[in-house]
Amino acid sequence: MNRIIVILCLLLGTITMQAQNAFIGQHRYNGEHKNEISGYAMAGNNVVVSGYGGFGLSYKRHLTDRWHVGADVQQQWGKQLYSNDVQGGYRLPVWWGDINIDGKLMYNRYNRWNANETIGNLSLTWEMPYFFLRVGESYIHWKTGDFGYTEPLTFTFGFGAMIRPRTNSWNIGLFFRNYDDFYYENWNINWGLNFYGRLTKQMYLFGEFNIRPAGSMSQLASKYETSGKLGLKYVW
Amino acid sequence: MVTMKTTHYILLGAVLLLLSACDKVSPIGVLVSGTGVEDRVKMSNAYYQGHKGDGTMLSGYEGDEYTFLVGADSHLTTDDGRMREMLQIALDNNDLLMAHLGDIADTKAEYYIILEDLIDEYREKYAKKYYAEHYLNDENFSLDKVRYPFFPVVGNHDITHNGWALWSNIFHSSFYDVYVLVNLDPPQLDHFIFLDSASGTLGREQVKLLEQGVLNDYYHDTGEKIIRHTFVFSHTNIFRPRSVEFASTFPREEMFFLLNKFSEWETDMVFLGHVHKWDYQKVGDTEYLTLDSMCEANNPQPGDYLVRVHVKKDGTISWEKVRMNYTKK
Repeated sequence: MNRIIVILCLLLGTITMQAQNAFIGQHRYNGEHKNEISGYAMAGNNVVVSGYGGFGLSYKRHLTDRWHVGADVQQQWGKQLYSNDVQGGYRLPVWWGDINIDGKLMYNRYNRWNANETIGNLSLTWEMPYFFLRVGESYIHWKTGDFGYTEPLTFTFGFGAMIRPRTNSWNIGLFFRNYDDFYYENWNINWGLNFYGRLTKQMYLFGEFNIRPAGSMSQLASKYETSGKLGLKYVW
Repeated sequence: MVTMKTTHYILLGAVLLLLSACDKVSPIGVLVSGTGVEDRVKMSNAYYQGHKGDGTMLSGYEGDEYTFLVGADSHLTTDDGRMREMLQIALDNNDLLMAHLGDIADTKAEYYIILEDLIDEYREKYAKKYYAEHYLNDENFSLDKVRYPFFPVVGNHDITHNGWALWSNIFHSSFYDVYVLVNLDPPQLDHFIFLDSASGTLGREQVKLLEQGVLNDYYHDTGEKIIRHTFVFSHTNIFRPRSVEFASTFPREEMFFLLNKFSEWETDMVFLGHVHKWDYQKVGDTEYLTLDSMCEANNPQPGDYLVRVHVKKDGTISWEKVRMNYTKK
């Protein structure tokens, strides 16, 4: 226990030392490019559909060094899930990192079950060199057949830690969160590993290994879905 | 170096993470759950297949209707007052069967001993009421022969801390069905389906069984449809009554899968618990009732925690809430 406290204190100290650096990590804008495009392939195994896979494509445009807009699409076989979203955000630099205010509007079509889902999310992310912490709320409305249902507001949270500061050209991290690119859960907590590595000045390789259990808050986190993602990002 | 130490801890976490992707290793499961849903369902299905039809066909009508009583989340500990009240209400009202939606007891051996004693006590009362002549005059009569119509599903609190061994010792199977014979000629049955969602998911094994049609006994040999009504009972709630509920519900795909499956079964009513809050929704022709907890610790005041369903001979279904008056001693 004492060892963990010491490590946490030293890491917090490191954060404050690193905070003035410019971030050039997977999610960070380095001020030198305006556009980011990324594509990835993903595959996984899920309790309901067994094996599944898919592709995704993302685009982000930095309007200024503070404002950005973007859009994402994804297609998954197995689940027959077709997703797209538009999003935008504002970055507020603070002396210990950045506060990001992000909004997202998403539409999912679960064709296999004849269900449509419309989601709006507003999140606040405190991004530091080694950590990020996200809180937010999601509006989720779904419809199957003639039945439509608006879920009570869903709390969004995420936490991640990386072994190198975000200024580094490569990184490996661990995350815990109740959302993924195209869904927001209530109390089922995803966790996994992600990484990125700079291949050239304009090209990054990135990937993720994600475990999505069911019943997290039932003290019985059970295997529900395991998935992996591998992609490339190009900036210009 | 700090970063080296940090790296070691994160790498250790990464190794555990990768191990947890294997079927045989589940660090979280090792910490909190002795039996996963896949093992539970395999064991339950083996029992179910071995005992299918063994006392699970009830005769529906003596009058114009039959009724059944449903309760949820009794979390029995040393005080069996509310559980006793439910069993007594069913006995007094001549309910054909009782269904319990899980979290019947908090996981401790002594609580399950209290529960089993209580069920045995009411099995005897049931036998005295419905098999009085046999009970009093038949020397060969044994209570073991009495199928006490109490049908529970398993809840998450039943099986944390290796509780499955305790639960299954009394109730045997977490995945099964029961029929009520409502007409002999032509044959017609009402179908009661009990699903294991204690882990917040049915698990792959149970989904496969459902997709294989293990519970789809829709048709007679002649091709005639024999299921009149279908009722489903499980623990984990689909609908979340409020934003601030911290109970895990089904992941999204599984929620849509279940809504579709219940629709395919032409389910009339689905009964769920877990979240300790009342909720009612109607999806197509299917009513979804999420029951509040009947536990005196969660709801100390008397209240309408049970639901009774009336099924008329003409097929009409209606339901009412049933009051519980027990308060903690």
